[in-house]
Amino acid sequence: MYGQGLIKGLSITLKHFFERKITQQYPEERPVLPDRFKGSLTLKVPKCIACGLCANSCPNNCIKIESEKDENNKKRLTGYKVMLERCLFCGFCVEACPTKALLWTKDFELTKYFREDVNLDLFSSYVPSPDDEKPAKPAKEDEESAQAS
Amino acid sequence: MLKTQELTLNLGPHHPSTHGVFRCVLNLEGEYITKAVNHLGYLHRGIEKLAESRTYTQFIPYNGRLDYVAGMLNEWAYVMAVEKLMGITEEIPERAEYIRVIVGELQRIASHGIYFASMALDVAGASAWFYGFRDRDEVLDLLEMVSGQRLMHNYMRFGGVAADLPDGFMNKLDKLLNKLPAAIEEYEGILLGNEIFRARTVGVAPVSREMALDYGFTGPNLRASGVDTDLRRDEPYSVYDRFKFNVPVRQNGDTFDRVIVRIEEMKESIKIIRQAMEGIPEGPVMAKVPKVIKPPVGEVYSRLENAKGHLGFHIVSDGSTKPYRLRIYSPCFVNIGIFPEMAKGLHLMDAVVALASLDIVLGEIDR
Ligand code: SF4
Ligand code: SF4
Repeated sequence: MYGQGLIKGLSITLKHFFERKITQQYPEERPVLPDRFKGSLTLKVPKCIACGLCANSCPNNCIKIESEKDENNKKRLTGYKVMLERCLFCGFCVEACPTKALLWTKDFELTKYFREDVNLDLFSSYVPSPDDEKPAKPAKEDEESAQAS
Repeated sequence: MLKTQELTLNLGPHHPSTHGVFRCVLNLEGEYITKAVNHLGYLHRGIEKLAESRTYTQFIPYNGRLDYVAGMLNEWAYVMAVEKLMGITEEIPERAEYIRVIVGELQRIASHGIYFASMALDVAGASAWFYGFRDRDEVLDLLEMVSGQRLMHNYMRFGGVAADLPDGFMNKLDKLLNKLPAAIEEYEGILLGNEIFRARTVGVAPVSREMALDYGFTGPNLRASGVDTDLRRDEPYSVYDRFKFNVPVRQNGDTFDRVIVRIEEMKESIKIIRQAMEGIPEGPVMAKVPKVIKPPVGEVYSRLENAKGHLGFHIVSDGSTKPYRLRIYSPCFVNIGIFPEMAKGLHLMDAVVALASLDIVLGEIDR
């Protein structure tokens, strides 16, 4: 019979019409994000050894690191800027970090009114927290590859 | 005095039915198209050139920007090419290969889901559009769980994948696979049987077998025109030779057949994922590869069956850490070449539907 397909289609829509709605009521209802979610970046400053691996692995050169040598000839971080406007959110920087100082956050609402607000200054915006102990000693091979790359 | 005159009309570059920034100049005689000329390049970002200034690893995330509704498959095609160049294809752990198959087929379902949805929208079927996106979203949730991103995954690595499947992934996948067949049945019920949809698509813009081959069609579009070919079966890469699946083929090559082929393919993808879930071994997900990738001097061409057709990468290496030249063979670029020929003589509204049925993604056409 002509029109049968139409009626079948309408019955499907009608069924869904009386079903529970699946639309998420954002922003009242917050999305549940997986652990690996790549939102914004955060830096645990005491853990960072200023090795520069993250900056080297970045495809777009988003990360600018400033460091100085202290009296023991050890590098100390003095500045850490991420040009988030050029970031691909690829995650190579987080993967490269030997001390797990650089991490993703689940913050995904990154829209800003002005362009300069988009970029992150992870060093000066760092809020000290007791969980971030001193840097762990990085494995030997990481230092080697830092020189290689 | 009354007179008729030919009308020149710009379809696009910003038009909801052109699936991206594609522009086509149409000559219209009344509502019938007498001539169509493609204009490409609005989304050109020079990705091939970008590759020359990035290391091999750093180029992986750019592949998601090619065909942005099937990022996982693009990455896979690229890492496969570099692995072949480095000669480590044999060393990839089995678990990694199975994971690649699972996420790749999930991505294919997501891509075909979006195809079905936009197809429905172009024939003004708004509710079918939402059903397509509803299920695609759940697939993307899974991919997000695995890779951390919904579209630009950056999950494949040379010699394996970035990380193992997260906890609870298999359960969620199982649940989704139980739901999908009913959803696909719904697609068929709401659109394929619909008399209006049939009137708009059956027999519209047919591409004969010869024409499809002449224009270099690949993938589902070629299969809709009656050529039985599928790289997953004919030149099995990865672990595809271990799975049993059918290759859906249709004979007429019209708009309707192109839709059917893809819906059937979604069902086959579900079958493949099921088999991969059963067969997946434990073990590492990364082969031992050097930290700095330096493939030997030489060149390589490797391709795989993308959701749109054969996606190929031709890489020339000069032995340094960056590719000397990288060329992407894009199935969408080839498929859209037939549009001027196809549109000739079509009704304007039918041309929009025919364009949608080719499944073009401008990110890959312009690169
Ligand atoms: S996510 Fe990628 S693009 Fe962004 S800062 Fe890290 S390495 Fe660079
Ligand atoms: S890789 Fe980690 S430790 Fe090294 S500079 Fe970057 S954030 Fe600091």
